[in-house]
Order: sequence, then structure tokens, then C-alpha cells
Amino acid sequence: MTSDVKPLLPRHDDLVNERLVAWYFLAALTFLTVSMLAGLLVALQLIRANPLDGVELLSPARWRMVHTNAIAYGFLANAFLGCLHWAIPRLTLRPVASVALSYFIFSAWQFVVVCTAAGIILGPSFQAQDWVAELASQFHISMSLGAQGVEWGETPFWIDPVAQLGLLLVAINFMTPIVRQRGPMYVSLWYFMAAFVWTFLTYGMGNFMPEYVVGGVSGGAVGGLFIHDLVGLFVTPLGWGLMYYFVPIMLKRPIWSHGLSLVGFWGLAFFYPLQGIHHFLYTPIPMFLQYGAIISTIAVELVVTTVVINFIGTIWGDGEVLKKNLPIRWFYCGMIYYFITCFQCALQVTLTFQKLIHFTDWVVGHAHLVMFGVFSMWIFGIMTYLFPRLIGRDWYSRKLCEIHFWFSAVGVFIMFLDLGLAGVFQGYYWASLAPWDVSVTGSQSFWVVRAFAGLMMFSGTLCFLVNLYLTWRGPVRELNPDIDVAPALA
Amino acid sequence: MNEPNFLPEDAFPGNDDPPRKKPSPTDEAKSARFRTRLTIVLAVLILVPSMYGFVGKFYEFVRIYRGDWEGSFAIAPMLNYLLASGGFLCLFFWATANRMFHDIEEPKHAMLDNEQRLDQQLGGKP
Repeated sequence: MTSDVKPLLPRHDDLVNERLVAWYFLAALTFLTVSMLAGLLVALQLIRANPLDGVELLSPARWRMVHTNAIAYGFLANAFLGCLHWAIPRLTLRPVASVALSYFIFSAWQFVVVCTAAGIILGPSFQAQDWVAELASQFHISMSLGAQGVEWGETPFWIDPVAQLGLLLVAINFMTPIVRQRGPMYVSLWYFMAAFVWTFLTYGMGNFMPEYVVGGVSGGAVGGLFIHDLVGLFVTPLGWGLMYYFVPIMLKRPIWSHGLSLVGFWGLAFFYPLQGIHHFLYTPIPMFLQYGAIISTIAVELVVTTVVINFIGTIWGDGEVLKKNLPIRWFYCGMIYYFITCFQCALQVTLTFQKLIHFTDWVVGHAHLVMFGVFSMWIFGIMTYLFPRLIGRDWYSRKLCEIHFWFSAVGVFIMFLDLGLAGVFQGYYWASLAPWDVSVTGSQSFWVVRAFAGLMMFSGTLCFLVNLYLTWRGPVRELNPDIDVAPALA
Repeated sequence: MNEPNFLPEDAFPGNDDPPRKKPSPTDEAKSARFRTRLTIVLAVLILVPSMYGFVGKFYEFVRIYRGDWEGSFAIAPMLNYLLASGGFLCLFFWATANRMFHDIEEPKHAMLDNEQRLDQQLGGKP
């Protein structure tokens, strides 16, 4: 008799702090709104329609950095942390190390993101003051209060140690239940575990090494690794880990091949860290490093293929579900975009291609498809799935959910195509040695389309926010009966 | 405007859906064979070159350390890669030694089973 009896599971409420998950999601959506507004402002500047022209604190150069940092550290990081507070305790059947620590991390992380924005916006203005220069010279210390000169690492130098400490606390809080897990682990946990280690190392490498340890070309090479590792070793493992968790539970069938998913994980672990230098082709960085980065970037396409095969295999024979299941549609649409962007990456890192598209809007289009078309869309899918549960109410309007999906999916794809084409034009303008102004004038029509595509994406997000507010105001759903549960495992 | 309950019915199918048609044992076995073969082929295609990449980087590192001036300023990024990858190589060996990859398909069934049981606490519907 005993062999068939399954052990009691802990109560969901003892594992997951739903209030904290909701707070993380709300913080993420707040920063998403700020980031999108900043993006729109920059888009308007490019078409010479900036309504805030002449306002120093809202100058496009500063808001451009707010746009990227708010999306990476404000939206994605907050949303991922919220999702992890849901997924890890349920996967390990153990709560995180400390709920108090979770709340502390939540507050500290918002402090880091707000300080980053404040540093970027106010730092350059303070720095122009005489008293700052005097202090700097008196104490022989750096007083670069504004953005740090590292791409994607613009967090001011004085906030870096706090962010680094925050990442360490995140790792401790989530790794505790994972390392207590006994027996073979599900693939999502492998990805999460790796992400905690990689993000900590990547952030430290990218923010401290070029600032204090290595300079010149070597610092540039480290910066290249940082840019790419931030996508590949922070966002990618968390995104894939969450997909491997949410897709099977929504489809109510196991992932097609767990073995294949582990092949993808170990492939990512060994291929991805090699790639970063492909951001600096045709530079004084030794060619053997550049070639290595190019080859590993192309090779990582195979790793991506394992993920795509696995998710197609999982939904095989049940394609109808894409029509009616909105979260699943978000996930699979994001996955298609992921494949497109990785395929594009394998092409654009070749030296031949780089000659044409380097420094052009092609790269901007690529970045938008990755950050919004893939990872943000996966997060929207998770939020669409979890919000009704977190606030105990059914979505107010399916129409608004549908509009959010279509405006986001179509808007970002238009932006991707438009900027890709703009990049090709810009590349040819520059190759023809025409004056710079010619390329700017030639880009205008593309930038107009980009502004409209951005508006479309922002409108979709607004629909989501309105829907969320109306849902929150709606009637509470009746939930359910008591059944036997076990105490959460320590 | 209010359209209640669309998500439980539409977005989370399964609880009230009729059970899917179960594949025959022959089909199941065929599918499992295909899955195993594909996993092995992709494992060879991915993991062997990635190991080659790791060893290659290590070789370059040693060569530079011994005085190849042309690439000496590349030591910092390579050291970063080797540290991260070296750690994961150790983790891979540890996981293999601890039979983490034994019965490799089992965790996906256990995860799904636990999830469904946790959801039953809320009446089967999220």
C-alpha cells in the first residue's frame, strides 16, 4: 500500500509569499512605464519633435540611459525576482531562506534602481559644480557622480557595491532551498542556480574591472564580455528556466525531453561566456579572440535549437491551444522571436556583415527584439497567468489582454524590421563616404516608423495596466477547500 | 465590458478538458527512441565543440602567460571566462558523480506531479 501513497506536500501559502510576488510585479511595471516613456522621448528627439527640448535634466542623452537601465534592472530584474519567488519554492518544496531578507532585498533593489536613475539624471549637473571639483581634488577621489562609462553598466560607481551586495543576498536567499534539494534536479533549477552565480560574477566583472583594474583595449574586451554576458548569463538562463517551468504546467504535460534541455543548459554554460568580444570586431583586440567569439556565437545557435525543438515537441499535436491560451501564446511568440534574433545574431557577427551594420540602427532593432520581443513577452505571459491568482480576481477584460498581446507582438516586430532596414541604409551611406548629415536625413522616415511602432507597444502596455487596475477593483473570486498538507520543508 | 472567468476556461485548459488520447505503447516506444537519439546527436554536436572551446581558451591562456606579447592584454577577459567555465566544469563532474543525470527524464514527471498537487489545494484552478 505504502509504495503508491505520495507524501503530503507543503501548503502553497507556506511556500510562496504571494504579496511579495505582486509587489515585485508592480515595481517591474512601474519601471517598464518609465523606460518606455524615456524610449518614446528619445524616439521623438530623433524625428526632431522632442517636446522637452532644452530641459537639461530631461535631455535625451540622459534619458537614453534611463531607458536601458530601467528595462534591465528595473523591469526585467524585478519581474524575474517576482517569478523566482513563485517558482523556486514550488520546485524545491522549500521556502526561500528568509522572508525578511526577501523584503529587504526588494526595498534595497528599488533603492539601487532609483539611485541609478537619479545618478544618471542629476549626476552630470552636480558634477559641474565647483564644490564637487574641489572635493575631488582635496580627497583625490573620483567624483564622476553620473553614469559610469561602461555600456549597460552606467550605474554610477557609488551604487555598484550596493548592487553587488544585493546580488549576493539574492543568491543566498534563493540558493538555500535549491542546495537543500536532494536527488536529480529539474532543468529550471539548473538554470536558476547558474544565473545567480553568473549574474554576480558578470556584474562584478563589468562594473569593477574596467573601472579599477584593467584599462584600454583589455578593459574594452571585458566591457564586451559584460554586455553580452548580461544578456546571456543573467537574462537568458532566468528566461529559459522560467519557460521550462511555466510551459509544462500550463500545457499540463511534461517537457518533451528533459535530457535535451540539460544538453542546452550545459551548452549555454560553456559556449556563451566565449562570445562577448563579438561586440568589438575590427578593434585592436587580438584576432584569435575575435574569431573565437564569432565561432562560438554561431555555435550557440545549436544550443538555441535544442530549446526550440523541445518546446515544439512539447506542444506538438496541441497547436489549437495557442489560439485560446494567451500566456502560452506570449511564450511561443517570444520563442519564435528568440529564434529569429539568435539566427540574426549568428549572421551579424561575421566580419563581412559587421562591415556594413556596425554602429547602425540594425543593432538597436536586434536589441529591442531580444529585450522586449523575447524576455519582456515571456514576462507578460507569466504576469497574465499569475496576476488573477495573486490578486484573487479574474481578468476584467479579455479584449484588453488580447490588445496588449497584439500591439506588443506586432509593434516590436515592426520596430525590428524598420530598424534593421534603417541599419542597412545607414551602413551603405557611411560606406559611400557621404557626409554624416546625409545618413541622418536618410534615416528620418525609418525613425518616424520607429516612433509609431514604439507608440503601439506603449499603448499595449497601457491597456495591460488599465486592465490590471480594473481587475484589481473587481470582485474577489471564491477559493477553495481545505485539503491535507504537510508543513513546508526547512 | 466585464467578461468574467475567461482565463480559467480558456487560458488554463486541462482541469475540465476531456483527457487527451493516450498514444499506444508502440508509438510511445518509437517516440522515446527518437527522443534519445536526437538528444545524443545534439549532445555530441554541442558539448564536444564547447569542450574544445574551453580547452582551446585554456591553451591560449597558457601561451599568453608564457610570453606571447601580441595577446598579453587579453589575459583579463580570458581569465574571466576560464574562472566561470572552470567552475561549471567542476559542477558538471560533481553532478555526474552524484548521479544527477541518472534517470534523466524523471524530474520532469515529478515536477509536473507536484505542481498539479499544489494547485489542487486551490481547487485545481489557478
